Amino acid sequence: MIEGIGVTKVFRHGRSDVVAVDDVHLNVIPGEFVLIYGRSGSGKSTLLGMLGGLINPTSGVIRVNGLDIGNLSDAMISEVRAKEIGFVFQFSGHIPTVTVLENVMLPMLFYRDGPGSLSRAVELIRRVGLSDRADAYPCTLSSGEMKRVAIARALINSPPILIADEPTGDLDIDTEYEIMQLFQQLNSEGMTFVMVTHNLDLVPFGTRTYRMDRGKMMEIPRPLPGVTMTKEPNTHLDHDAGTAMNEL
Amino acid sequence: MSKTHEFRFFRLVARNLAHRPYRNIATVFIIAIIAGTLFASQYLMSGAEQSLDAGISRMGADILVVPERYAAAGQSVILTGTPTSFFFEDSVFEKVTRVQGVAKASPQIYIATLFASCCAAPVQMIAIDPESDFTISAWLKRNPGVVPGVDDIIIGNSVIQNVGRDLIFYGHTFHVVGILEKTGMGVDNAVFTRFEDASVMANESGTKAVRKVTIPEGMISAVLVKVLPGASPAEVALEIQRQVPGTKTILPDGLLNAVSGQLSAVTRLLSGSTIAVTVVSIPLLGIISAMVADERRREVSLLRALGATRLFVVRLILAESFSLAIIGSFIGIGTAAAILVAFQDYIAYTLKIPFILPSPLALLAAGGGALLLSIGIVGLSSLYPVVLITSSEPYMALRGGEL
Ligand SMILES: Nc1ncnc2c1ncn2[C@@H]1O[C@H](COP(=O)(O)OP(=O)(O)OP(=O)(O)O)[C@@H](O)[C@H]1O
Ligand SMILES: [Mg+2]
Repeated sequence: MIEGIGVTKVFRHGRSDVVAVDDVHLNVIPGEFVLIYGRSGSGKSTLLGMLGGLINPTSGVIRVNGLDIGNLSDAMISEVRAKEIGFVFQFSGHIPTVTVLENVMLPMLFYRDGPGSLSRAVELIRRVGLSDRADAYPCTLSSGEMKRVAIARALINSPPILIADEPTGDLDIDTEYEIMQLFQQLNSEGMTFVMVTHNLDLVPFGTRTYRMDRGKMMEIPRPLPGVTMTKEPNTHLDHDAGTAMNEL
Repeated sequence: MSKTHEFRFFRLVARNLAHRPYRNIATVFIIAIIAGTLFASQYLMSGAEQSLDAGISRMGADILVVPERYAAAGQSVILTGTPTSFFFEDSVFEKVTRVQGVAKASPQIYIATLFASCCAAPVQMIAIDPESDFTISAWLKRNPGVVPGVDDIIIGNSVIQNVGRDLIFYGHTFHVVGILEKTGMGVDNAVFTRFEDASVMANESGTKAVRKVTIPEGMISAVLVKVLPGASPAEVALEIQRQVPGTKTILPDGLLNAVSGQLSAVTRLLSGSTIAVTVVSIPLLGIISAMVADERRREVSLLRALGATRLFVVRLILAESFSLAIIGSFIGIGTAAAILVAFQDYIAYTLKIPFILPSPLALLAAGGGALLLSIGIVGLSSLYPVVLITSSEPYMALRGGEL
C-alpha cells in the first residue's frame, strides 16, 4: 500500500545538516493500523510528510500502490494526494475565508467524481462532534476543534489511506476516544492508517507500532515493554497544551 | 450518497474575494481609476474624431482652398464655427478648377453675422453657389422634400430656429427650410444661403441694418474641392498651392492635426494621468498582491497538500485578480461615462474641441480597451505572486502557525 525503502531526509541548517529521517524502511499493507511514536524532533512528521508525497526524500524510494511517487508529474502527484491519501496535519490549517463545512468539502474540488458529497461532509462533521459549528469560520475554532475539522476533511474523499500526525493531540480524553472509535470503524471497513501519537494508551488500536529516535525507526514488538512506555508521557505536547485542558 | 458538488471553484473565488475586503477594495479602486481615466480619454478622443469626420463629410470636400493669410481662420470656420470674413479674387475658382486632379470645385463666401435673435453667439453665414455646390446638395439629395428658393436658408444644428420660421440677418429676412444633423463642428453654428440672396442682403444692409456689411465685387472666401477618384488629396492640394498663388489649402488630415493640437492639452492631461496612475499602480498592486501572496503561501500549501495542482492554484489566483480587474473596470468606466455624459456639452465647450457622442462601436472599443488594459495590469502585477505561490511546497502545510 505504502512502501518506504531506505527513506532519508536531510535538512540543511546553514552549514550543519539535520538528518531528520535516517534510512527508514517501512511497508504498510492494506488494512493495517500503523502507530508511530517517539520524542519531539525525532522525525515523525517528516516521515509522514514523505509518505504522503508532501516532502521529497533526500534519498530512498516511496511507493504508493506500487507507484514510485518520487518522479510523478505535478498532475499525477496531486491526484495521489487527492484520491489515495487523507492527511491530518500536526498543525491543522484551514482556509480562513470559508466555513467549517466548506473546509471539509475542500478536497472534493480536487477529486471531482469522488465519493465526497455534502451529506457525507455533514455526517463527518457530526462524527467529529462539530455539528453546531458547521457554519463557523476557522478563526473562531479552538485548536481541538480545528483538529477535528482537519480529520473530517481528510476523510471526505474516503481515501484508502489515512496519514494522521497526532490527530488527537489537542483533544480531551472523551473526544479522543470518540475519534479513535471512528478510526477503528473505518479501519475495520478497510481504510489503512499510519498515525503518529504521543499517547501510548492508543497502542492497542494499532496493528503495528514503531518508535522513532533521531531519524531512525524501529518496530516495537507487542506487547510493549513497560519501560519504554513511561518515557513517552501523554502530556508531551509542545504546543497548545492549554487548549486541550480548557476543553475538559 | 449524493454526487452533487455544492462547493465549487467559483464559490471559493467568491469567498476569498468577499473575505479580504480591504485589499480588494484597494485593488478595485486603483483599477477603477485606471480604467476610468483611460476610458475618458478614449471617449473624448473618439468623440472629437467622429465629430471631425461628421463635419468633414458634411463639408463633403477633400480640400478647402482659402486665402493664404487666412488658413487659421479657415480652420476655425470648419472646426468651431467662429464667425469670420475673408476674401480673395473669384478668379481663384477658375484656376483651381483647371488644376490636374480636381474633379469638382465650388466657391463659398463667408460672412460673419452680428448677434441675431436666434442665437447666443454670432453665427457664420456661408453663401454657396447653387450651380457648383456639392456640400448642401448632398444633404438636399437625402432630403428630397426641400427645394430651397429665394431667401431660403438651411441652418446648422446649434442655430436655434424651427423649419418654416424666419431668421433676420443684417435686416434681411430669411426663411428656414432645413436643419442639418449635429456634427459637433463649426457647421453646427452656420447658416447656409445662396450667393444671390447674400448679395441682396449685403446691398440692403446699408439702409436696413444697424451696421453695413460688404461683399466685395468679384470676391469669394473659399473654394471647396473634390478630387478625382484615385487622386491623392494631399498632392492635389500641393499642386493648387503651387499653381494658384495666394492660396492655402486645408485638408481633413490637417484638421485632425489641428484638433489634436487643441486636444493635446486634454489628451496630455488624460494620458498623462493614465500613465501616472498606471505606473504608480503596477508596483502598488504588486505590493498588495505580494503581501497577500505571502499571507497565502500557507493556504496554497494546504490546497496543494489536499491535492490541488499548480494549475488549480494559478487559476484560483488569476480568477480572483481578474474578477477584481473586471469589477474595478466596470466601476471606473461606469463612473467616467456617467460624468462624461452628464457634463458632455460643458466639457466639449471648455476643452474647445469639436465633439459628438461617440458611436456605440467606439464606446465599446473605449470600454473594451480600458478593460483589457486593467486586466493586463492586474495580470502583470500577479506574476510575482503566482511564481512565489506556485513555487511554495506543500510541506509548508505541515509547519506550524496560522494560515
Ligand atoms: N523544513 C525543515 N527545515 C529544517 N529542518 C527541519 C524542517 N522540518 C523538520 N526539521 C527538523 O527535522 C527534525 C525532525 O522534525 P519533525 O518535525 O519530523 O519532528 P517530530 O518527530 O514530528 O517532532 P514533534 O513530535 O515535536 O512533532 C527536527 O530536528 C526539525 O528541526
Ligand atoms: Mg511532528
